[in-house]
Amino acid sequence: MIPSLPFLCVITDEALCPVTLAENALKGGAVMIQLRHKTASGSQLFSWAVEISKRCHQYHALCIINDRVDIALASSADGVHLGQQDMPARTARKLLGKMAIIGVSASSPDEARLAEQEGADYIGFGHIYPTASKLKEFSPVGVEALRKTAAIVSLPIIAIGGITIENSASLISCGASGVAVISAVSKADDPSKAAHELLCAIQGREA
Amino acid sequence: MAVVTHFSISNCVRKTESNKRYQENEQKAEQELLRLWSELFIVHDNSKYFNKMKHSRKKETPLPRLHLISSGKESSDTNTPLLNQLSLLPGSFPCMVQIREKQLNAKELLNLALKARAIKAPEETLLLINERADIALAAGLDGVHLPESGCSASKLRPFTPGMIYGYSVHSASALRMAEESGADYLLFGPVFDTPSKRRYGAPQGLEKLGALCRSTSLPVFALGGISPMNARFCMDKGAYGIAGISLFQERSRLAEIIEQLYLHLHP
Repeated sequence: MIPSLPFLCVITDEALCPVTLAENALKGGAVMIQLRHKTASGSQLFSWAVEISKRCHQYHALCIINDRVDIALASSADGVHLGQQDMPARTARKLLGKMAIIGVSASSPDEARLAEQEGADYIGFGHIYPTASKLKEFSPVGVEALRKTAAIVSLPIIAIGGITIENSASLISCGASGVAVISAVSKADDPSKAAHELLCAIQGREA
Repeated sequence: MAVVTHFSISNCVRKTESNKRYQENEQKAEQELLRLWSELFIVHDNSKYFNKMKHSRKKETPLPRLHLISSGKESSDTNTPLLNQLSLLPGSFPCMVQIREKQLNAKELLNLALKARAIKAPEETLLLINERADIALAAGLDGVHLPESGCSASKLRPFTPGMIYGYSVHSASALRMAEESGADYLLFGPVFDTPSKRRYGAPQGLEKLGALCRSTSLPVFALGGISPMNARFCMDKGAYGIAGISLFQERSRLAEIIEQLYLHLHP
């Protein structure tokens, strides 16, 4: 799987149980689960983080917590994913230490470069295509922006936003190391199968 | 194709091992945390606070008896109600101040917390933040106030040595949970009628405050509709101190109100 092959990150869907979704995504071959839930309480997030981390580590995958550095520190999660509205990566690094994984969302080459300077481990770049998973205040950045970003940053880039089996392979050829999805897996009839098919598509092999 | 070297499986495994080690050898982890702390404080140049944390000030000094909660109207401005309030606190009456701004994102909250920390408030002032232990840590605050549904203080303490943890409690089960997770104080309310809490129904009343105070040895702050006129009733029921939002919003009368309240606070 990682390090040399394109990989899959699955982000939890607020409408579903994140632990079940994570389990299914891991079965399908996801190597990174991001726990993202903007309205859950701290104690709920903590118990999800513990449960998802446990499952991730069984599969040698990473459990990443969106925004809440405190929840990542309190649980056995591997790191955090920070949006542009969250704590700066530099600050999060001081709290989490060198071993933690810190991902930063970027939607332009400049934001990606800044994240690299701030000590991020990977860039979540997007949203590439139109997406219904989140209401966006800006239009999709498209694959060209991804290509430009990949040319100027050396960090792994995870492409995100409106990714499907059909459009996923081109992202890898544009320089993405992996892709992140919510609905492509969470809304599928069989999330585990959807994750597996998506992984095969980005790795260029038969499902 | 980019080769992913930054987070590999071996890295993940190493991390899992480090977690195990962390559990096995808490002392070592604490030293590591202290080292991280020291890095933090070099950046924020807040060595005074670091010393305070190392000696766990809450064990030396009793908590202040007044708990000021921010209005929920803070912004990224340089001149906000909270920053004004902090600069106007009278020196002779110690206060704890809780930043509670649910509408702000983590970036804005951190900036506000750093600005608040930088204000020269009286020495004994304790600065807390609602829920976000990570922001408390990053900004060098003194503690965290947790809602009933917050992440347990016992899970947060290992990486926030010396911090004060308080809980809002509204029920017997919440009290038990707060005690088990090692809370330093409790917040109970609304005791009296207050416009901001009317939508949640009738106030809890003095009798319930009294019952809570009798059932715990933790200091209880009474919240909701309290004024210098009725503070005495809360203290008579066993409250340790008084908390308020609107009570402390009037800039011109802040010092006077705090002074008046303190007249009633000593049992």
